Amino acid sequence: MTDAKKPLPKVGFFDFTSCEGCQLTVVDCLQTHPELLDVIDIVEFREAMTGHAERYDIAFIEGSCTRPSDEERLASIRARATVVVALGACAHIAGINAIRNNMSLAEVRNIVYGTEGDKFESYPARPIGTVIKVDFMVPGCPISSEEFLQIVTVLLQGRSPELPDYPVCIECKLRETVCVYHRGRTCLGPVTRAGCRAICPAAGYECVGCRGLTSNPNLESLEQVMAEHGLKSDAMQSRLDMFLAWEMNERRAKEASRE
Amino acid sequence: MSSFNILPRAKFGDWVAWLTQRYRVFGPKPTDGQYTFGVIKSVDEIDFNYTQTLLSPKKCIIPQRELLYTYETSGMRVQAVVESVPTVILGVHTCDQHAIRLFDRIFSHGFTEQHYRTQRENTIIVGLECLRTCGEQSFCRSMGTTSPATDVFDLHMIDLGDEYCVEIGSARGRQLVAEFRGMFVASDTDLDHRNEVLRDKWDSFPYRLDCDVTDLPELVEGASESSHWQDLGNSCLACGMCTQVCPTCYCFNIEDHVDLRLHHGSRYRSWDSCQINEFAMVAGGHNFRQKRAARQRHRFMRKAKYQYDANDMVGCVGCGRCATACLVHITPIKTFNELWRRKQTAEGREAEGKPSHEDVA
Repeated sequence: MTDAKKPLPKVGFFDFTSCEGCQLTVVDCLQTHPELLDVIDIVEFREAMTGHAERYDIAFIEGSCTRPSDEERLASIRARATVVVALGACAHIAGINAIRNNMSLAEVRNIVYGTEGDKFESYPARPIGTVIKVDFMVPGCPISSEEFLQIVTVLLQGRSPELPDYPVCIECKLRETVCVYHRGRTCLGPVTRAGCRAICPAAGYECVGCRGLTSNPNLESLEQVMAEHGLKSDAMQSRLDMFLAWEMNERRAKEASRE
Repeated sequence: MSSFNILPRAKFGDWVAWLTQRYRVFGPKPTDGQYTFGVIKSVDEIDFNYTQTLLSPKKCIIPQRELLYTYETSGMRVQAVVESVPTVILGVHTCDQHAIRLFDRIFSHGFTEQHYRTQRENTIIVGLECLRTCGEQSFCRSMGTTSPATDVFDLHMIDLGDEYCVEIGSARGRQLVAEFRGMFVASDTDLDHRNEVLRDKWDSFPYRLDCDVTDLPELVEGASESSHWQDLGNSCLACGMCTQVCPTCYCFNIEDHVDLRLHHGSRYRSWDSCQINEFAMVAGGHNFRQKRAARQRHRFMRKAKYQYDANDMVGCVGCGRCATACLVHITPIKTFNELWRRKQTAEGREAEGKPSHEDVA
């Protein structure tokens, strides 16, 4: 229960390598649900306000860790926060930042910064959970505002937010979207964590996996399904490596170490 | 009033308009190249030549997400929400009628499920005789569901070309016909025509099950240790589409939602699936159906045996929705036929005095 006399939980928002679109979704939530400001005290949010604080009850962190100096800043936030929540795909699974993990860093520097490339620090992109302890996740690119508000509510209740551990197909069927495969295309829905209400297939697109893999995906079988539906193996790899590059590389490394 | 009435095709639109003024009317609509049951405002939206819909009409009685009660977090005030909307489901195929028949048994025996019963009692089922198969995935004839469920429909329509024959199945259906006033009693000629249409339809419905439907409970019981479940587990995506589209699956999850100020809460019931990872997860994190093979076995056991044991009806009506949905081609027909083939092979070997274990084959 919230109590008027009790101080509101202090909340900070932070960003690392990302487009800051998830924080923009939070700003949007503040407009659709202004009562958010009655239940939390936002003490630091570079994208939306000035201000700095020493302690946070909840720190929401958007973005991937992509350079050595990020580690120090992440550790500093962690040390000052009671609960750390990864906000969005970049923080959760390194998102599209990890596409570059399958390229040489020199090539990436050259593409992004041209001849000035060596002046910038950079290394392979990682989820923030590989650097600091992360308590909870808000998946997605961008996050779903509905899910964000739900997770805030659960945190305010002092409970642990739980994410769905079933694939997007469940939500497609619930809203009676015609299967992307039956429309002659391929889709990562069968291995991707639901919670987005299958918004992309419903809009005529396909699932690209932005919310990350379910805990026990049958990737081998899905790869066969995609091949059966005409997706060539290089196209399949680039599809899987768009949002899932980091997760796929981790899986490959695990499999390699088993062999 | 006769049990058989005639609705001229030209009057069908009037009847739909009459119904929509009095009820929430669900009917089969084309959707993105397939079909769904949707709320009908005008007769133009209805396509009675529909095949399989994406979801069965069970969603009209058990919504995908249903509010059970609301509560205040400050005290113990709990307000049950048992609401129902006067509803007509128009054009329910015979397989889906049998699925509703199973639900009627499940939710009325022993513990009566109030939310289901309330909406069900407020729902008029207008059936539609299937005159051709829904497609290569359907196997209603093998399951004995190609004719209507007489204890389910209130009215049942048969397309006779220029007119529909409307059979009355309940007092409520009789009243509906009387109030509408746009139908007339079927003549002997009409009834002869009806009987001809019913006689001639069967060639379109192939038998696809290699055994008899009554063999199924014993077949799956004997196959509980079959290695075929592992074959299914290897390809299964655990996506849960098969159970979502199934007209006889009714497992649910319970979720609580509280507003941001933590004052008001709502408890919802939403469709769940035994095929997903977390379905059989219990407190402490133990998952008693961790393997996909075990989940598929459970699914087919439940359809072919458990429902038969508990409700005297096999839990599969042969609509073929799961077969259409499954991206890795796991289908009831292929599964049952494969188990049957293995059983026959094993029995053949036994007769020849060879080891009977199926996996030896």
